[in-house]
Amino acid sequence: MSTSLALHNRRKRRNGVMMALCVVAAGIGLAWLALILGALVYKGLSGVSLAVFTEMTPPPGDAGGLLNAIYGSIVMTVIGVIVGTPIGVLAGTYMAEYGRFSKLTTVVRFINDILLSAPSIVIGLFVYELLVRPMGHFSAIAGAVALAILVIPVVVRTTEDMLNLVPNALREAGAAIGAPRWVVIRSVAYRAALSGIVTGILLAIARISGETAPLLFTALNNQFWSSNLNAPMASLPVTIFQFALSPYEEWQQLAWTGALIITLTVLGLSIFARSLTGRREDR
Amino acid sequence: MKPMLSTDLNVAEAAVEKAKIEVKNLNFYYGQSKALKDISLSLPERSVTAFIGPSGCGKSTLLRVFNRIYELYPRQSAEGQVLLDGRNILDRSQDLNLLRTKIGMVFQKPTPFPMSIYENIAFGVRLYEKISKAEMDGRVEQALKRAALWTEVKDKLNASGLSLSGGQQQRLCIARTVAVKPEVILLDEPASALDPLSTAKIEELIDELQADYTIVIVTHNMQQAARVSRQTAFMYLGELVEFDRTEKIFTSPREKRTQDYITGRFG
Repeated sequence: MSTSLALHNRRKRRNGVMMALCVVAAGIGLAWLALILGALVYKGLSGVSLAVFTEMTPPPGDAGGLLNAIYGSIVMTVIGVIVGTPIGVLAGTYMAEYGRFSKLTTVVRFINDILLSAPSIVIGLFVYELLVRPMGHFSAIAGAVALAILVIPVVVRTTEDMLNLVPNALREAGAAIGAPRWVVIRSVAYRAALSGIVTGILLAIARISGETAPLLFTALNNQFWSSNLNAPMASLPVTIFQFALSPYEEWQQLAWTGALIITLTVLGLSIFARSLTGRREDR
Repeated sequence: MKPMLSTDLNVAEAAVEKAKIEVKNLNFYYGQSKALKDISLSLPERSVTAFIGPSGCGKSTLLRVFNRIYELYPRQSAEGQVLLDGRNILDRSQDLNLLRTKIGMVFQKPTPFPMSIYENIAFGVRLYEKISKAEMDGRVEQALKRAALWTEVKDKLNASGLSLSGGQQQRLCIARTVAVKPEVILLDEPASALDPLSTAKIEELIDELQADYTIVIVTHNMQQAARVSRQTAFMYLGELVEFDRTEKIFTSPREKRTQDYITGRFG
């Protein structure tokens, strides 16, 4: 009895040590996040004012806002998502439905996984060669294309995963009442996987809204208001990059504020995406 | 001994009753492995036929040939003939979707679609018929009544089909199948995931439905086969061992293997 009690105590101690290590590791991870958020709020919040959302990026030494950068970010993100989402959803649908048992799907999945983890700067260079050089100048279109290329693999992956979670029994049931395949996919599989697919799209938006490298080579930046898609366009990440590196205090302040805006937007999107999947699991 | 089994009943029955489905020398393969071996039998119209046998005997596989649902998956193939009213449904020219509107299927686990109770039924009807809202309301009501579910759901037709209990979901699936007006209904262990009370309801329903439909039921439960069916096929290792009137199978089977199975000596 005594030996087994000793064993028990030893295990209990070991458990305590392991648990402490895990808690410390988790704490360190979270601490950085908290520090980043804290710094952003501390430095950025003081710069938040109406001017940020109504005025253009100022020349050095002047006061101003981020309107053109916010506008550019929204425009390029929206175009990127509009272009990338249908391609991603359709490709994911092929992989999970029509091509479920085909070799092509395995190949596409492999390539997609590579694309998913490709450094975004590589995507930027690719679009630079593909569009910017032939066109002879930077443009919002090129930026949007680069973002679309980043959207595709995320959406492909989540669409395929979510459709694969739809039980085969449901597909059989659809087929068994005489529904053609595409009707089963549209009315049964998509419906069952909807919240998951939307979550994937939201996560893709969250990912591209903070991307700097692919825009640096494509949309570049613009000090002024521009809604011309065929011309360089400002964006929050590139503006932050430029302003944060500058020696001017006003610019640095705007960079902090812009960083706060992006972070809060991404945070909001993530929480929204979470709430969608959460609801799905409740059912 | 196997080639002659299909005869007794078939000859006797065929004289008095029209065969709805006739299976002739059917072989079925999962890749290279043969899952059904030279099956021949004929199912009379408007009556319940049960397929019984131990797991893996091929009874579900046989059922899944009748609406060719197996074709959703690669490397599954059938050889031979399955005649529905004299036409071979295994023929390449057979339109699969039309076949499946004629031969409905209810699965082991309830599979309501992720939509409202009303839509679950309207969905199938809408595929092949253009009817007014009022007519559709009538069809939905009729189908739900047929499946003995109407009184339980008539006040919440817009609730999700997933909000129903398991037994109710299964009756919803039966209603959905009935709504498209099939001629044959295939039931793949329709009550095995349900409690005894829901099972009794489903069996009662099967009994009522056989007045209008040809019903084929696969079941693990021998009492269930004895209760609901008029003829029973006993299958073992991909072969049809014996096919006869249900009371004959359960009281004086010809084959020793059948006897062993129904008395619980194996399987």
